[in-house]
Amino acid sequence: MKNTLVRALADHGILLVLLLLCLFFSVVTYSEQSPTGAKAFRGVAEAVFERAGERAGVLIVASNQPSDSGFAEGVEREMVRRGMSVLGVVRGEPKDARDALVRVSSEGARLDAIACTQSAGAWRVFSDLGSDFPALGAPIVILPQSYGWPNFLKAENLLNISNQIAVIAIMAIGMTLVIISGGIDLSVGSLLALSAVLVSWFIRDFAGGVNATIFGMLWASIMAIFICGVAGAFSGFLITRFAIPPFIVTLAMMLVASGIAFTLAEGQSIYQIPDSFVWLGRGADLMKLPNAVVLMIFLYVLAHVLMSRMKMGRYLYAVGGNDEAARISGLPVKRVLMFAYISSASLAGLGGVVMASQLKSGSATYGNMYELYVIAAVVVGGASLSGGVGKMMGTLIGAFTIAVIQNGMNLTNVESYTQKVVLGVVILGAVMLDKFRRQK
Amino acid sequence: MMKNHLAILAFLISLFPSCDEPVVDPTSSGKKKGMIGVSLLTLDNPFFKIIGDHVAVEASKSGYDALVVSADKDIAKQGNQVKDFIVKKVDAIVLSPCDPKSIVPIIQEANAAGIPVFTVDIPCQEAGVKIVTQIATDNYGGGKEAAKAMIEVLGAAGGKVGVIHFKQAQSCILRVKGFREVIDAHNAGGGSKVEIVSELEGGGAKDIGYKAAEDALQANPDLRGFFAINDPSALGARAAVEKAAKADQVVIIGFDGMPEGKQAIKEGKIYADPIQFPEQMGVQVVQAIVRHSKGETLPAEILIPTRLYRKADADKDAALK
Repeated sequence: MKNTLVRALADHGILLVLLLLCLFFSVVTYSEQSPTGAKAFRGVAEAVFERAGERAGVLIVASNQPSDSGFAEGVEREMVRRGMSVLGVVRGEPKDARDALVRVSSEGARLDAIACTQSAGAWRVFSDLGSDFPALGAPIVILPQSYGWPNFLKAENLLNISNQIAVIAIMAIGMTLVIISGGIDLSVGSLLALSAVLVSWFIRDFAGGVNATIFGMLWASIMAIFICGVAGAFSGFLITRFAIPPFIVTLAMMLVASGIAFTLAEGQSIYQIPDSFVWLGRGADLMKLPNAVVLMIFLYVLAHVLMSRMKMGRYLYAVGGNDEAARISGLPVKRVLMFAYISSASLAGLGGVVMASQLKSGSATYGNMYELYVIAAVVVGGASLSGGVGKMMGTLIGAFTIAVIQNGMNLTNVESYTQKVVLGVVILGAVMLDKFRRQK
Repeated sequence: MMKNHLAILAFLISLFPSCDEPVVDPTSSGKKKGMIGVSLLTLDNPFFKIIGDHVAVEASKSGYDALVVSADKDIAKQGNQVKDFIVKKVDAIVLSPCDPKSIVPIIQEANAAGIPVFTVDIPCQEAGVKIVTQIATDNYGGGKEAAKAMIEVLGAAGGKVGVIHFKQAQSCILRVKGFREVIDAHNAGGGSKVEIVSELEGGGAKDIGYKAAEDALQANPDLRGFFAINDPSALGARAAVEKAAKADQVVIIGFDGMPEGKQAIKEGKIYADPIQFPEQMGVQVVQAIVRHSKGETLPAEILIPTRLYRKADADKDAALK
């Protein structure tokens, strides 16, 4: 019995960990949500009718939040249908509600009820109505009945998680290639910063700044990614030609790239770029999926095909498993390694472009410690640092595991310092689990 | 495995009561606690730690829960934290931006979600963002106070002074502006002249401040005072003055009132500091949130005045050794 359990756990490994984490955060972020839709409007109107009567004077209040949109109109329609009188409709900030209360109170009208959304109901402007607006009498505040649903499982949050991890997940594709080939790439975080600085610098200085055209922005992005690719080629060259350990070469590249990024940006952030540049990082065109997430999924499908269906994929496993055997078998070991480092650096460059787009600016401070998150995602996803083992989908799950932990802890009010400890422990736990599986 | 079953069970049970009637009316809006999401530049720096702690205390006094997180000077991380605040539907977001320019799209996201945004200590002056109010130290006024202290200590003799600047920071530019204005006004009024003979870049750090002060002393051997825009550069200047054996000739005015700076004031190494009040910032930002929620109109910025802190204050300060 125990053995079957252990095996089930081991076979599904990290996916199981991810699901358990999701389940855990779903339970702990379970909270009240405000309902929307016709049913809620009808319900509120009904409650007003029951509690305050048909001739009640009612103020309807909704906040600026997108989830409140339609509430005021919906409730008003329902109330008008019942022949009730609406004294005013407020859609905005607490200040607007106060103005409306002042107006109603100066008109001398009797206010019996305030129908508001959950978020507007939390405003303090309604908390001391009796003393603040004695002329109004004692209106009752009516809110829609909230329902329970985990914050974590809201569609909005799930998209949020994917969007937050997209950059790291894209970089992790390249890192998976490098780690499967038996190497490591420490330069990705700095290359991300370099690329973000380069793309915004190109746009500012060469493509026309805030008036840059789409073509200019595309050119700047490609150039930034290309330069990162060249940096990767340089690392790969040193590693294959002079047999310097990848750890050393990419560590040096990390410092060089970061230094160049700081020099180019002069320690400031470069922000003179067009508004349309945020399309990649913040837009959501395909079925409400953020563009960065679509890009990430596309790249993972591509990488999965590469690793499982194409020659280069098999070569990478072979080189990482035993490079001597691969060389003797006549595989182009150097070319394979070059491919891995160039891919890793170019994808870091792409990550930088995405991040510059998300933040609409480029700064050399981006990507700090990202190499460690990326490596963690790959290793948590089941790749072995000694090479030859690893799967693209594993890496994607690994990246999501890290994102879910970070997001979940933010949602459950875990303090920053504790978050680091928890993240470290979970990464260790995931790798232990993996080790466990390997020994079976 | 047992625990997992329990967790699933707990989850299912918790889902259960949600499937009842659509509406009742909990008239008591005071029952539910509001939530304030706070993302500060860093929590390593005691200054921001104090802000965070005071936001938390004041929030719980006002019936809010505060979630204080550190962005670790990483703007992308701050962006993610704000996104998570939006998902949580916090009632207000308080930021001290990691980068006043790159923060723009992040604040816009909060604006689009209809959540009011406040800044503390580091303002964002860019166009296109809606910030309810920005709470910061009155750096301009602080610079004026520093100048008053300088005039007071130089006395009837007057003399040459140097400024150790940090021009990248808007706050420091304001400090020096206030300083210069009061000095100029004093000189225009006749009597002893205080002459600003050098204005050097001190990087806001001890080592660069040290070099800048050394250079200033080389250029003007008869220098009588330094105004340094923060405590580290003031302490750097002090080191240069000591090295040149001019500790009796040159007085130093700092800024901030960090523990190390206050200690130096107590020991007579720095004459005085206009000190900042991070506690006040934390308290005031929560009060601003409450006032906004009450429907009051707030000014675009709330400046917290500094106060001159001299040796006499340091001697009474129980927090110092």
